[in-house]
Amino acid sequence: MIALPLAPLWILEYLGAFIVLILTCLSLRLSRRLVDQDPENALWLFLNWLAIAFLLFSISHLISHVLHDLIAYWNHPQLALLQRVFGGFDTVIYVVIAAITLFFHRIQRLYRRMEADHHHLEETSHEILALNREMEALVMERTMSEMALGMAHGIRNPLHVIGGFSHRLLRKTDEDDPSRAWATAIAEEARRIEQMVERFETLAMRKTSFFAQEDLNLIVGNTLELLFPELKAKNISLVAELCHEPLMGRFNKHLMKVALAHLVRNAVEATPRGGTVLVRTAKEKQFAVLTLQDTGRGMPQEVVEKVFVPFYTTKIGGTGLGMVFVRQIVDEHRGVITLESQVGRGTTVTIRLPHRFTDSPEVGDEVPPAAPPAAPAAPSTPEAGSGQD
Amino acid sequence: MRRWIAQICPAVFVLVLLSPQCVLAQWVTWHQFGTQGSYVHQTAHLLLFLSMLFFIHEIYYAHLQKFRGFRLLVWTWALLALWNLDAFVGHWADWTLENPIILGQGWDRHLLMYDFHTWVVYFTKIDHSLLLIPAFLMFYLGLKALVRKPGAE
Repeated sequence: MIALPLAPLWILEYLGAFIVLILTCLSLRLSRRLVDQDPENALWLFLNWLAIAFLLFSISHLISHVLHDLIAYWNHPQLALLQRVFGGFDTVIYVVIAAITLFFHRIQRLYRRMEADHHHLEETSHEILALNREMEALVMERTMSEMALGMAHGIRNPLHVIGGFSHRLLRKTDEDDPSRAWATAIAEEARRIEQMVERFETLAMRKTSFFAQEDLNLIVGNTLELLFPELKAKNISLVAELCHEPLMGRFNKHLMKVALAHLVRNAVEATPRGGTVLVRTAKEKQFAVLTLQDTGRGMPQEVVEKVFVPFYTTKIGGTGLGMVFVRQIVDEHRGVITLESQVGRGTTVTIRLPHRFTDSPEVGDEVPPAAPPAAPAAPSTPEAGSGQD
Repeated sequence: MRRWIAQICPAVFVLVLLSPQCVLAQWVTWHQFGTQGSYVHQTAHLLLFLSMLFFIHEIYYAHLQKFRGFRLLVWTWALLALWNLDAFVGHWADWTLENPIILGQGWDRHLLMYDFHTWVVYFTKIDHSLLLIPAFLMFYLGLKALVRKPGAE
């Protein structure tokens, strides 16, 4: 029968335990450096905790095995209590390492979710920025167009008066009258200014490139088509009641889609599974009316009042800018958005858009009223005379 | 698969802990350990073994194995998982070895290999050292690679 020496076994065991102790010390130093490089990295924190646990393990493991060998092979039964203590500590360390590792398993999931949320937030931020730029460009261009049209309109009326009076003066002035040349010059210059105004007006009209003649029904239809999978995924019924006749107007298709998509997504989020989202378009005098109704949880009055307040949100992780942009988009179309909600019954959003934004009464007010040619103002230059027909 | 593992593992754990000693416990001869501590210690080894596997799974799930540092850490965890199994068997063999025959005195002591059980005790003690050193070496090298360049492939 073979008898194998125990000494190599002990040497290997203690040498191994000692090397492990050194390696865990070095590892702890490295893990500290990782944490120092990026203190908020969950992975580095985990590795650091693990390195600490490994160091404790290597110490405890070395001691408990020495004690075990002393008791089993060197006849030191008095060390049994101490061995149990260190054996118990060993067990605790194993559980701690397992707990840290399993905890990391969950933390890693959370970390990945946080990263995904971060990317999503970045994307949203870029989208908002792009949308904002587009809105700014749109507002600037439209304001310029309106100003140009308003100015052209305002210049043309006095110009008509100047031109009309100068022609009358020409008719009433004798051929040999020296002031006839002045009246001719006034008439010609007035015609030149009129031509310039016409060109200016034509250019200003072309400046409405951000808006195009679009059918609201088509915009709504296309948007709903894009969002349909989201509604289907939540088992929400979509009822689309689109107006039978085309709802033509000067709309920015892209912005309208953004606004509608946001409203539909809000409705989907608020509506429980099996609920209904109704989208309706209709014609109402000079307005195209878009109604979006859901059977969701609704909102109390105090929330409804703050819906369009920037950065106000009831959603975790929400930016509080979505509805603000929606209202801005509607405003840029010279439209009006209203929101009605009842807790437990749902929310109804109504958007009224004029067929042409220049039809809006606000725009009309900005344009100077045209002076009737029959009531001309008195000429301001002393040379022009002061006669009336 | 993961769901299945998540349901089965706790079930086995609870079954082992709550089973009558004459059935499952006898199968692994734990009843001879005699102390509650031995049960807890062995269970801790199993738990550690499972957590090592979870970590390897997590590394692959997060596609971190493409980095050298994490590849080395996967080796650490794989070796530690093996060491846990070895330790589980080694403890069982060691704690259940009755009346080992030791010849000689001091450092010249010899263990008489009179049955398979004694061989298991002897070799699991060697494996014990042979697995732990490379495991911690890999852990050190893995961390070193991560410190140098966390994203190095």
